[in-house]
Amino acid sequence: MSATNDASLTRRQFLRLAGATAAVSAAAALDPAQAAQTAPAAPHVGKPQWESKFGVCDMCFNRCGLIARVDKGRIVKLDPNPKFTKSRGMLCARGNAGVDQVYDPDRLKTPLLREGKRGEGKWKAISWEEALSLCAAKMKDIAAKYTRCGMLFSAGADMQSQFVNRFAEAYGSYNVTSHESLCLLSGSRAFLDTFGEVPQPDVINSKYVILAGANRMEALVTPDSMDLVTIMKNGAKVVALDPRYTKTAALASEWHPIRPGTDMAFMLALMHVIIAEKLYDSQYIKERTSGFERLAAHVADKTPEWAAAECGVAAADIARIARELAAAAPASMVYPGRRTSDYENSTQIRRSFALVNALLGNWDRPGGLVPARPTGLKKAAPFEAPFYDDNPTGRVDMKIVPLLFDDEGSFVITRDCAIKAAPYPVKGWFVYKTNPMATAPERRKTREMIAQLEFMVVADITMSDTAWMADLVLPMPSALERQDPVQPLQAGAEGACLVFRDPVIAPLHQSRPVFEVMKDLAGRLGFPEAFAFDIPSYRRQQLAAFPEAEQTILRDGVFYPPNPPLGATDGQPFKTTSQKIELVSQRYEGLGLDALPVYTPPKPAPDDKRRFRLVAGRSACVTQASSTNNALLSEFEPENTLWLNEDAAKELGVRHGDVVEVESPAGKGELKALVTPKIRRDTVYMLSGFGVISGGLSRIRGKGASIVELLEGRFDAICGNSAIHETYVSVRRKGAA
Amino acid sequence: MNQKLVMVIDSAKCIDCKGCVAACKQANGVGRGVWRNWIKEAVPPVLADGRLGRGHFQPGACMHCDEPSCVGACPTGATYKSADGSVVIDPKLCIGCGNCIKACPYGARFRDPVKRIADKCNYCPERRAVGLPPACVDTCPTKARVFGDMNDPDSEVSKLLRANQGKVVRIVAKGHDTKPNMYYIASTAPDGWAVKPVDPLSFDALSGLIGPAVKAAVGLSGLGVLAMLGRQLLVSARGEGKDAGPGAGPDAGKEDRHG
Repeated sequence: MSATNDASLTRRQFLRLAGATAAVSAAAALDPAQAAQTAPAAPHVGKPQWESKFGVCDMCFNRCGLIARVDKGRIVKLDPNPKFTKSRGMLCARGNAGVDQVYDPDRLKTPLLREGKRGEGKWKAISWEEALSLCAAKMKDIAAKYTRCGMLFSAGADMQSQFVNRFAEAYGSYNVTSHESLCLLSGSRAFLDTFGEVPQPDVINSKYVILAGANRMEALVTPDSMDLVTIMKNGAKVVALDPRYTKTAALASEWHPIRPGTDMAFMLALMHVIIAEKLYDSQYIKERTSGFERLAAHVADKTPEWAAAECGVAAADIARIARELAAAAPASMVYPGRRTSDYENSTQIRRSFALVNALLGNWDRPGGLVPARPTGLKKAAPFEAPFYDDNPTGRVDMKIVPLLFDDEGSFVITRDCAIKAAPYPVKGWFVYKTNPMATAPERRKTREMIAQLEFMVVADITMSDTAWMADLVLPMPSALERQDPVQPLQAGAEGACLVFRDPVIAPLHQSRPVFEVMKDLAGRLGFPEAFAFDIPSYRRQQLAAFPEAEQTILRDGVFYPPNPPLGATDGQPFKTTSQKIELVSQRYEGLGLDALPVYTPPKPAPDDKRRFRLVAGRSACVTQASSTNNALLSEFEPENTLWLNEDAAKELGVRHGDVVEVESPAGKGELKALVTPKIRRDTVYMLSGFGVISGGLSRIRGKGASIVELLEGRFDAICGNSAIHETYVSVRRKGAA
Repeated sequence: MNQKLVMVIDSAKCIDCKGCVAACKQANGVGRGVWRNWIKEAVPPVLADGRLGRGHFQPGACMHCDEPSCVGACPTGATYKSADGSVVIDPKLCIGCGNCIKACPYGARFRDPVKRIADKCNYCPERRAVGLPPACVDTCPTKARVFGDMNDPDSEVSKLLRANQGKVVRIVAKGHDTKPNMYYIASTAPDGWAVKPVDPLSFDALSGLIGPAVKAAVGLSGLGVLAMLGRQLLVSARGEGKDAGPGAGPDAGKEDRHG
């Protein structure tokens, strides 16, 4: 066969050789035993000449460690970093598709200045000098006309977002929103207000996990997603509650198609059984919790039968699950979940999750909920934020809800306030790698907010829907072209880890990291002292506690700071008012809120037409709108569909693949129907990240529909987190009478 | 002893995340719309109360059979069973006739839309050359895919096969066991992706001729080569060539219990 390795062979020569080889294969086909003796070697393959460089994935928020294979300055493959244990040595489809993010022809290449109307898509390429000088002039202008709080800063989940927040602080605006108020704040609020801090689930050591709506097999969270598979393999039980037969539901030990919005009823009934049957550790409850008697009275009538009528899970199943959960305690949990932006009472719903965990006594126990592991990171480059006495007293979104996170705010409420210019106007918006035009419910309101702005600048990798509406667009490098500060990452009980990024390749196009943009603008606006450092010196300050950490990260791609054993918090007070786990929240009581989670049935459908509750979610190949245009990922998820129950579809005369018109009070959308038994009759589902408005996303333009055109802009009444499962929609076949 | 490279798949661990498929495409430059590997979803069972029961996802790819029907179907010898157990396509010899694509009962082969030749999983020889596992195995989040040398008793695949004796399943073609080297640990398998192989004309001709008539077979095969070369040029000029991808065909496969 060696002759065939000669690249100079002509096709005619192949054919002659082919005859000879065919004889070999004919013989092989006839006699396998003989074939084994005469089998030719596989063709010789040269070793790839790539360099291997550590990186940290940026295709979602998980930040998995990776190794980039770089061939002559070009990234050819991204592989998992086996020493990065948080992701259990894996890189998912999105991580693999990171190569296509870097070399995406749709990437922004130069700063762009809007020429036509906002959203019209007419742009002029300008220099960085022009862009930065315009930016600085506009920010000065807005500060003079509307105070410094007239600028809103929104930075996504990114390892450089801290520099945008630092800039906002130095510039003098309180108005900072992150992705979090469109995602996880309700859960954080609930667990913080119960335990005094937001815990990490120790999935790998758990024997029983209830996943209420958390679709971990598709909305991947490392290491939880992989650990759920591992523990099931080892005999643990995973119970999935979801109106949809997700891949999590498919793989769980059992799945219950719960009625949307009734998770609290299920949790109250679990507590009823655990308390009524004394399945808790009474010593623990006495020592570590406050308000048990009131909780017991509160759930006394919340029987499994009562809950079954609300949530649709059989009473016998609820009672059994409560007993099994308690029997596995403390190595059992109600998984806290990540995205908790579901309902207007999501904080209270998640409080009920937290309280079941409290009864299980799983705090700081293997297989339970553990306090965030220490990272040992030091605050770098401290600076004195200036005080501007013309500023208003607080954030523009203050006072609408009682327990806003001051450093996160609420995007939905901020938007409402900006539209009303009350309590004061917001006229400028700096956006970094977050995309509210594609992720904040009720897009028409985002448009309304933008319409009244005097200046909007978006820094991103591609022309996102939000960038499409901007006055000025700044091209950012991908995460593989940047130097980034140290990022601490939590990984359950096994301890935090520390990572940073160095460029794997030189920045492409004219991209500049946001750190440099902020540093430059700080100089132009007169507060250079806030950015009097570079990233290497910043990192060294962050890592001051660990002299060996920098070298370790350069060698292994990751550093593991010391991790105290579990149970270290035993006997120490919880960081709550009562210094105990607050079954009854004293803080809520003081604020006139329900001190115990009070169940209210979800609002019924408004009419027979608008009878489907719209729920949103993710696939393992989609990170909302930031990944759907990716060349590789768009092959897996080329467009979104509306999941419609097969019986409901029959009633509506909708067949699989029909285009349907979906309508809500917020707007309309058209997309293909996926007719399936995998969803409840009262619920429809669609994937986020489609129905884009940007003309700069060539692969998905015109594909599917956007959740934010349909979802109403409601919010959590306690913390202002977006509430995206409150919307009912009508569905009809396109063209139907 | 020669190597015998195989894949052992614990399909109960597969979460259908498509990591293996994405990794394969990146590592091997597999074009848009074609796939060297896949994950198939079983139709979930319906429980007594109408709920859907436990689902199951099954990763797959070329199974590098011991008695591969593709090898005999290849008129030029481009496809052959190599000494390390892998079924190899020599791109220099492949004329893109498509016989092997039809002959594979598992839908593991396709015609590369750009190169116009047959393509399939090759266990990533470039990666193996630097000591890395195939891309799909390396990237798999739950390590459902395991790769190694079955002839090495200390390899991970050998250990897995030993530890799971009696629970190992192979997918085989209907009525034709090609002796695949992909071993599934789990009792369930999605139906419908092992189908009866299509024996192309050249294969029929060859199989009718036993040992001593090899010379005649060579001659026949050569004729086939010329005919197919002509066809390939024609097809590429017209821009056609959409051969059935993985999983084509409604015919149900069967399971084969081992050990």
